[in-house]
Amino acid sequence: MDRRILNHPVLGPSAPGKTLTFHFDGKPYTAMQGETVAAALLANGIRRLRVHEESGSPRGLYCNIGHCFECRVTIDDQPGVRACLTLVKEGMKVFSGKVLPAPLKQAKSPDASEKQNSHFIAERAESR
Amino acid sequence: MFTQDMVICRCEEVSLGKLMQTFAAHGCSARELKLRTRAGMGTCGGRTCRSLILALLQESGQEPSHAVPLGYQPPVRPVSFSLLGGRE
Repeated sequence: MDRRILNHPVLGPSAPGKTLTFHFDGKPYTAMQGETVAAALLANGIRRLRVHEESGSPRGLYCNIGHCFECRVTIDDQPGVRACLTLVKEGMKVFSGKVLPAPLKQAKSPDASEKQNSHFIAERAESR
Repeated sequence: MFTQDMVICRCEEVSLGKLMQTFAAHGCSARELKLRTRAGMGTCGGRTCRSLILALLQESGQEPSHAVPLGYQPPVRPVSFSLLGGRE
């Protein structure tokens, strides 16, 4: 799948560039030299770069100028890198952001959390 | 055009409805609204939603308070500890 504009109505055909291979979540993709990770993934039809760490709702490109940190991914073992500012390099290993554990929010039902809270309050009262 | 489930703060996933509810319930200042909902406390440091939160409060008839504004705390943009520590 290639969603690049190869023949622009005003700018004309784009010069053939060098192609690079990189991996996103273990799958190989092709990028053109000089493309950012976000642009290359978009050209390959991938818009979901990570999920919200707590809720798991999808996140992708938002500002595309490095301002909003919505497109942060893990690149070559470095977490929190902005895909919209990082140029693709040959063999780059990119991983999408996943849901992180929330051990302090384990209680799913409001009842359970209330119980936990009352337990916590009781404990604090005792320690005073 | 504006719906209740429109996400205002994308980092902390706070919706317009949640902000309006909180404002209606507590009549908060911008800073209190931020502390109650976590809107503007995410990775981007509020640089995306700060103006939206302020606009929301202004539309609700509250003058932006200069006494307790939505602050800009250092570092003004997210940097890694390794960068601060001078390590590669």
